[in-house]
Amino acid sequence: MIKNRISRRRFLQGTLATGAAAASLSSISLIAGEVSQPAPTGVTYAQNWCEMCFWKCGLTAKVVDGKVHKLEGQKDCPSNRGKLCAKGNAGIAQLYDPDRLQKPLIRTGERGSGQFKEVSWDEAIKYVAEKCNGLKEKYGSGTFSLFAHGSGEHAFVDLLHIMGSPNICIPSYSQCTGSRDIGWALTYGKPVGGKEPVDSENAKCIMLLGRNIAEALHMGELIDFINGCANGAYVIYVDPRYNKTAAKANKYMMIKPGTDTALVLAMINYIIVKEIYNKEFVEKYTYGLEELSAHVRRYTTKWASEVTEIPEKDIIEAAVKLCEAAPNCYIHPGRRLTRYGSDTQFVRAIAILNALMGNWETPGGIFKPVPLKFDTPHMVHDLEKVDAERADGAGTEFPIASVDLGLANKMMQAIAEQKHPLKGMFVYGCNPFHNQGSTDVVAKAIEASEFIVTCEIYMTDTAWYSDVILPESTYLERYDPIISTARKSGYIQFREPAVKPLHDTLGAWEIAARLSKAMGYQNHFMDVREYNTELLESLGLSEKVMQKHGSLVGAEGDPFPLASGIEPEFHTPSGKIELFSNMLNDLGYDPLPSYQAPPMPKADEFRLLFGRVSFHTHARTQNNEWLLALHHSEVELWINSGRAKALGIKNGDKVCVTKGNKKSNPCIAKVVDHIHRDAVFLPHGFGSVSKGLTRISGVGARDSDFTSDETDPISGGAGFHNGFVRIVKA
Amino acid sequence: MKKKYAMAYIVDRCVDCKACMVACKAEWEVPEDKFRTHIDTGVSPDYTDTMRMHFLPHQCNHCDDAPCVTVCPTKASYKREDGIVSVNQKICVGCKYCIVSCPYDARFFNHELGVAEKCTFCLPRIAEGLAPACVTTCPGNVRVFGDINDPNSEISALLRDAATNHYKVWKLRQDLGTRPNIYYIQK
Repeated sequence: MIKNRISRRRFLQGTLATGAAAASLSSISLIAGEVSQPAPTGVTYAQNWCEMCFWKCGLTAKVVDGKVHKLEGQKDCPSNRGKLCAKGNAGIAQLYDPDRLQKPLIRTGERGSGQFKEVSWDEAIKYVAEKCNGLKEKYGSGTFSLFAHGSGEHAFVDLLHIMGSPNICIPSYSQCTGSRDIGWALTYGKPVGGKEPVDSENAKCIMLLGRNIAEALHMGELIDFINGCANGAYVIYVDPRYNKTAAKANKYMMIKPGTDTALVLAMINYIIVKEIYNKEFVEKYTYGLEELSAHVRRYTTKWASEVTEIPEKDIIEAAVKLCEAAPNCYIHPGRRLTRYGSDTQFVRAIAILNALMGNWETPGGIFKPVPLKFDTPHMVHDLEKVDAERADGAGTEFPIASVDLGLANKMMQAIAEQKHPLKGMFVYGCNPFHNQGSTDVVAKAIEASEFIVTCEIYMTDTAWYSDVILPESTYLERYDPIISTARKSGYIQFREPAVKPLHDTLGAWEIAARLSKAMGYQNHFMDVREYNTELLESLGLSEKVMQKHGSLVGAEGDPFPLASGIEPEFHTPSGKIELFSNMLNDLGYDPLPSYQAPPMPKADEFRLLFGRVSFHTHARTQNNEWLLALHHSEVELWINSGRAKALGIKNGDKVCVTKGNKKSNPCIAKVVDHIHRDAVFLPHGFGSVSKGLTRISGVGARDSDFTSDETDPISGGAGFHNGFVRIVKA
Repeated sequence: MKKKYAMAYIVDRCVDCKACMVACKAEWEVPEDKFRTHIDTGVSPDYTDTMRMHFLPHQCNHCDDAPCVTVCPTKASYKREDGIVSVNQKICVGCKYCIVSCPYDARFFNHELGVAEKCTFCLPRIAEGLAPACVTTCPGNVRVFGDINDPNSEISALLRDAATNHYKVWKLRQDLGTRPNIYYIQK
């Protein structure tokens, strides 16, 4: 059973996590001049991984007198090396937020009226079970759908399998990384993965196409990037907007939004024509250079310059800089690549450009994640996974889309259209009103659903329209099954409660177990601690060890095997890196990426771009008091100064986004030269309608009201950036 | 030799993520929308090919000749032997002279306590052998804290390295004669 034991020696080498050292408490009272606090009667430390975003930074919570006082990054956790971002530090403000959901709720008024009654867990569980059993009897088990994201998602995934429905969606596929992972897998035989394996620290040249590392703020990726910049990497940043990542770049190129593929194809063409690609690598490991070469011949740098509005000399210079640095360079595979509905082919172009550098499993290029492999126990005994046809087209209409992760975008459409009787919707840890491309579709789907259950920590917009709300304990109040992560080493991470639940809340696994039992299913759910103990014993570890360390490296290997002379394996049809994709060819898609101009805004319209700011995640953290203080609760709409002037809009004016008969709440105009004239930019996740988010209800624009809802024909992933809007003064 | 605490910011490493601001807020339960440290952004006035954006963290400079200490009528604000400018909140009368006098805008009024408040270089953490909260959390390792009278400290080594390599090193508003103790380094 045990594939890889962590030796006693290995874990003894680990040092104490930051906060776990015994603190000298007397020192606090010695400080003259500070307000005298009541003497702490007890300081304890608890290990966790952060759930403020999805990077899973290891942290230690310092608890003073039963209250979480401070969160510190675990020094030895490879995800974050002792660091926490603003969001991570603000986990305390979330824990103690009076806006949190505190009791199970059952809706009493109209959907969206905000009228709920507080009920006991027994009552809520019984109610959900009866409703679901009724729906199953009437419409069959496929009537249930699930949208789930977060550490507890597997609890609800397993519950849906028990209930017999295949309609399980993890929105991070279609709404974020699906097109990227499919495009990359078609080329290299495996997806990029959630912890992008780019070796910034050793890179001599880095090219980012809208990958705003500084503000997306995935800690490990950011730390590596800053170190890479300090180590002298030449950074080329391409974006319609000069942002905080651009601030770190040696060369910023303002691109006409929607034209990135043209830029990459022209660079590929130039590099092939000039024969400055990594010839030895390309000859040995790639398939289809001849076809690619002929195909991209039409994409000249002159043509690309006209399309992208980037000077031709800059395009050439970028290509040359990369080739000079090759193989110690990379073009970032991207993260949320759900832009124009043609994103899989865009990623194909990026993957091909990387292949021409020969940077595979090489320092400064793409590294090979080192996994910690071991057999995990099963949280649910006797679980049979449902393998029926899905309602969203994953595996059928979209044959290479992930059937495990599903297509949240197409599922929501299917619920709205009711071609299948999809009547029961479960939502865990995500917020379709904000993560779907069309709020109209979500509203229609909600209307068409007979029963909606949301498991959350906050009254999100989606919870606001639900029939039952099951309040979850936050990550600082619960155990979760141990997770294993692979970066340049493989490691496990442990979560334990820092404090007992403050309110009448439960962890996702306990909720799922209770629901399953109440619905009459016989499956046994393991207790989380029991699961962890079994898992740790198989690795020769114990809970006590994890309480000390929090995270533990168990596998160290070579992240650059190709550079070490080990032949790589590519699980593609040809066994090589496919510049020409045999699989796409066989399925009737374009085997080579082409440039398709996206629809363009009219003269008086703007293309709506949205994304992260450094201090918020998705639509999850906007109500956090400490994070709101960072921007005085203002939501800035970036607009080009020339366009703003023509509209009579000055910096700091209150403005609204409009489209058809929709009009947003006021935002604050941020009038700058450094955003392309075609575009406006909004920070994602504001404009909530739910009155349960008292600090941000009605504040700023809800970008999802104005985005497009395209579908990538290959991956099935969404495309959001073909939404065209007008800006008016409030 | 006596300790003399100081901090250096390697400004090229800052991405304005504001982790320092929130870590400090958590450590000190800083009220409302106040912070003890900030990050300013400097942007070229017009967009050009060579446009630059710079980030400048700032906080109390723990000046050797601190105006806040000079103006304080009750001696609540004082300079410690280890170089830290501190406020004895027990004898602060909340007159706000110090807030007005600070050329670095590093102080604010804590309405809950009725006293002036500022950065303490995280004294209790130092006493525990930890770095200040802002230093510990900074993803870019922008902030380097330590005793500049100790030649073996990280900050002393950094300042020597900066001098050897002719990095740009400066302090804010030295013309005012406050003799601040926050160093800015640009490599």
